[in-house]
Amino acid sequence: MGLADKDNEIIDKQGPGFVITSVDKLVNWARTGSMWPVTLGLACCGIEMMHSAAARYDTDRFGVFYRPSPRQSDVMIVAGTLVNKMAPALRKVYDQMAEPKWVISMGSCANGGGYYHHSYSVVRGCDKIIPVDIYVPGCPPTAEALINGIIELQKKIKAEESIANG
Amino acid sequence: MDKNSNIDIINNKLTKFNLAFLNNEQNLILQINQAELINVCKILKTDSDLDYSMLIDVCAVDYLTYGEADWTTNDATNSGYSRAVKQTIIPEADETFTNRFAVFYQLLSLSYNKRLTLKVFTTESNPPSVPSINKIWNSANWFEREAFDLMGIHFKGHPDLRRILTDYGFIGHPFRKDFPTNGNLEVVYDEDEERVIYQPVSISTRPSVPKVIRDKNDRK
Repeated sequence: MGLADKDNEIIDKQGPGFVITSVDKLVNWARTGSMWPVTLGLACCGIEMMHSAAARYDTDRFGVFYRPSPRQSDVMIVAGTLVNKMAPALRKVYDQMAEPKWVISMGSCANGGGYYHHSYSVVRGCDKIIPVDIYVPGCPPTAEALINGIIELQKKIKAEESIANG
Repeated sequence: MDKNSNIDIINNKLTKFNLAFLNNEQNLILQINQAELINVCKILKTDSDLDYSMLIDVCAVDYLTYGEADWTTNDATNSGYSRAVKQTIIPEADETFTNRFAVFYQLLSLSYNKRLTLKVFTTESNPPSVPSINKIWNSANWFEREAFDLMGIHFKGHPDLRRILTDYGFIGHPFRKDFPTNGNLEVVYDEDEERVIYQPVSISTRPSVPKVIRDKNDRK
């Protein structure tokens, strides 16, 4: 009995779709295991983001390596105040990232303008410029909070069924 | 040397000019005429008994609503603290700038370890202007650009008076008291045009000073 016959036998027994969802899980496992964020520290949140990447909290454990190029990145962590002057540049960096891509909005300013909500020069939330997956609250959020946000994003990616749904 | 002896030295060196020493307990503030600014600064920097060789900062002040509060506030307490909302808080400004803008220069004498603040009112014409001191202290270059950007003060003789902080194509001078705190434009991404566009602001201006409400009379 050849391999193809054996495959057909499994499909006959289990029904179609069994292999497909497994691929989804495999792909999601691979994606969550190497989320490379584009280095985008805009303000004091950037310092806390560096803490999360440094030796004590060490996001390398999750496969999170900061990349200097959007072409090599999967995740954008908007860490800090997004000002009007920066907004077109931020969108350009986001557009340059390869699919699939996700965005973590870190801190009050990126979430909704925060302390500078009523300012003449600040974007009232980076979700006015790019679609956001995870909002991390805080001013600034602690390194632990950001890592929690990264884990939440991993859960979100694991729930995706990109291949099964076409 | 104490403050008074410093006043004497400056008075002796600058006898030709109109000087006014403003009362301040901490540091010395010298108010001068904007027409005499350049000559006074040259002497302050080059005279060996003064030697103000370093310009720390240049900043501008808008006196349009000086001494006026958005509302009267009570002392903060542990309870009864609230925040009221008032809409029209943008002050009216006319086109003359009589005693409206002043430029402050912070000087430091490294050899005598002394500081001096210069206060100069701008011209009353539109735009308000003062002479640039960029040729005397090079550090004035970006300070004057900042004051021009945020307050709209023109520094005559500045080699490159461009905006330095605000957005490209920004209109207005945001630190002026008659500029709305929220600004006039906000940015948003347009899905159809696939670019970041400007649109009128979607929120209204409100005072940034919290108001303490303790009884009915405060609720106005």
